[in-house]
Amino acid sequence: MGTLIDTPLTLAALRFSYSGRMVLRDVSLVLRPGEMVALVGPSGCGKTTLAHIAAGTLAPDRGRVLRRYRRHGVVFQEPRLLPWATARDNIALPLTLDGVRPEEARHRAEEAAVRVALEPADLGKHPAELSGGMRQRVAIARALVVDPDFMIFDEPFGALDVVLRRRMQDIVIREVTERGLAGLFITHDLSEAARLAHRIAVMHPKGQGVLGSAVPPGRPGDRTERQLFDYVQSSLAGDPLFADLQSVDERAAPAVCGCDPIGVQRCC
Amino acid sequence: MSPRAAPLARLRERGEALPLALAEAGSRYGPGLAGLLLGLGLWQLGALSYGPFILPTPFATAKAVAGILGAPEGWAIVGATVLRVIAGLSLATAIGGALGIAAGYLPLLMRLLRPWATILLGMPAIAWVILTMIWFGPTHGAVIFTVAVMTTPVIFTGAAEGVLTRDRRLDDMARGFGGSAWARFRRVAVFQIAGHLAPVFAIALALSFKVAIMSELVTNVTGIGGALALARTHLDIDQALAWVALSVTALLVLEHAAVRPLRRRLERWRALGRG
Repeated sequence: MGTLIDTPLTLAALRFSYSGRMVLRDVSLVLRPGEMVALVGPSGCGKTTLAHIAAGTLAPDRGRVLRRYRRHGVVFQEPRLLPWATARDNIALPLTLDGVRPEEARHRAEEAAVRVALEPADLGKHPAELSGGMRQRVAIARALVVDPDFMIFDEPFGALDVVLRRRMQDIVIREVTERGLAGLFITHDLSEAARLAHRIAVMHPKGQGVLGSAVPPGRPGDRTERQLFDYVQSSLAGDPLFADLQSVDERAAPAVCGCDPIGVQRCC
Repeated sequence: MSPRAAPLARLRERGEALPLALAEAGSRYGPGLAGLLLGLGLWQLGALSYGPFILPTPFATAKAVAGILGAPEGWAIVGATVLRVIAGLSLATAIGGALGIAAGYLPLLMRLLRPWATILLGMPAIAWVILTMIWFGPTHGAVIFTVAVMTTPVIFTGAAEGVLTRDRRLDDMARGFGGSAWARFRRVAVFQIAGHLAPVFAIALALSFKVAIMSELVTNVTGIGGALALARTHLDIDQALAWVALSVTALLVLEHAAVRPLRRRLERWRALGRG
C-alpha cells in the first residue's frame, strides 16, 4: 500500500446539498494506485453526485477532492453524445475541446474506436443511427481517447440488457487491467461491482458517508462466474455491510419534485 | 462490358429511376402546388365577379410584374428594399444575437434586458416608422433602423432561449473532460443555439420585409413601399398587386437562398434514425 502521495484520488469529508436537501454528508474515500473501486449503494444514495464531484462537473459545498492523476476519462449514465456529430467526432470531442488539430483528433478517435470494437463503418453514423450498446461503446471510446490514467464510470450500463452489459464489462476489465488504470465505478449492481473491481465500497443509503469496503477474492478478469455468484450470494445474505443494498424502500427516498410522493398517483 | 456500353447502362438506369423521382417530386410538391392553383382559381373568380378595377386577374398582375422587371428601374426598386432588409436584419442579428447569448449565460443581464425586449416586442411597427421619420427624415437610415429595432428583440429572445434550453448534460459532459468555458461554448453550445435560432431567423426575415415596406411607404423612400405609395396615389391596382407579388417573391428567394440551406445543415441529424 502506498503513501497518501501516491493515491490517485482522495475524496475527503465531502458535503453536497441539492436545492436544500443534503445529498452527501461527510463522504470520504481514498483510492490506491492502480485500484478500481466500485462504489455501490441503493438508488438515491448520492452515488451519481459523488461521481460528478470526482469528475469535476460539480463542486462540493464542503470537503476536498485531491487528484494525483494526470487526466481522467468519464463515462456517464446516459451516453451523452452530441446528437449532431458522427460517432467519430463524438469520440474526438475531448481532443477538440483541448484544441488538438482535427486530423490528429480524428486519427486518435479511430484508434480508440478499435479498442472498444466499433466497426469502422459505424464511425460515420450519428448517435440516432446507433443502438444503445453502440452508443455506450462510443462513450467509452470517448473516455479512452484522452489516454487517461484514471477512469470514472457513473452507472454506465444500467440501461443495457444482460448480455450487452456483460460485453461492456469485459471491455472495461480489459482496458483497465491492460493499462493498469485506477478508477471509480459507480453501480447499484453488486455482481457488476464484483466482476469489475479490486475493492467494493458501500455507500450509506442516505449519503451519510461510506460504510466500509469489501474485497472480493481474486482479481478482476480472473474471477470465475461461480466465484462471483457465490461471493454475491454470501455477501448479500451474510455481510451486514451490504444489508441496505436491497432492503431499501425507494418510496422512503425524499422526493425532489414538489408533488405528493404518497398515494397511488405519483408523478416522480 | 465495353467502355461505350457503360454510359448507356447508366442512362438506362436513370431512365428507370425517372418515374420514381417524378412520383417523389409529385408527392413532395404536389399538394402545395395544388393549393396555389386553387388560390389562383379563386382569385380569377373574384376578378371576374368584381371587375378589373377592384381586382385585376392573375394574368393582368403577372403582366404588370413582367413590365416592372422589364425595366432596370424595377430591379433597382426591388433591390433597394432587399438591401435595406439585409442591412437591418444583419444589424439586428449582430446586436440581438450577441446580447441574447450573453443574457442566456448571465442571469443578471437577462433580468436587466428582458423588460426591454418585452417592451420592444410590444411596440407597434408604425410607431417606430413615425419616430424614425422624425429622427432621420426620409432616408435609408430610417428604414434600416426601423427594421433593426423591430427584429432585434426577436433575435435576442431566440438566442437567449437557445442558450437556456440547451442540453446541460452535454455541457456537464464537456466540463467532465476538462473543456474550458470557451471550448464548451464553441464545440457544444453554438450548434444548439444556432438550431434554436434558425426558425426564429426565418420569422425575423419575414417581419423585416413587412416593416421595411411599411417604413418605405410612409417615409416615401424609393423601394417597394415607395412604389406601392405611388400606385395608391394613381389608384393603379395592377401595379399595387404586382408590387405585392414582387415583395413576397423577394422574401421567398431570400429565405430559400439563405435561411433554408442553413436550417437543412443544422437539422440534418434530426431526420436520422427515424422510420
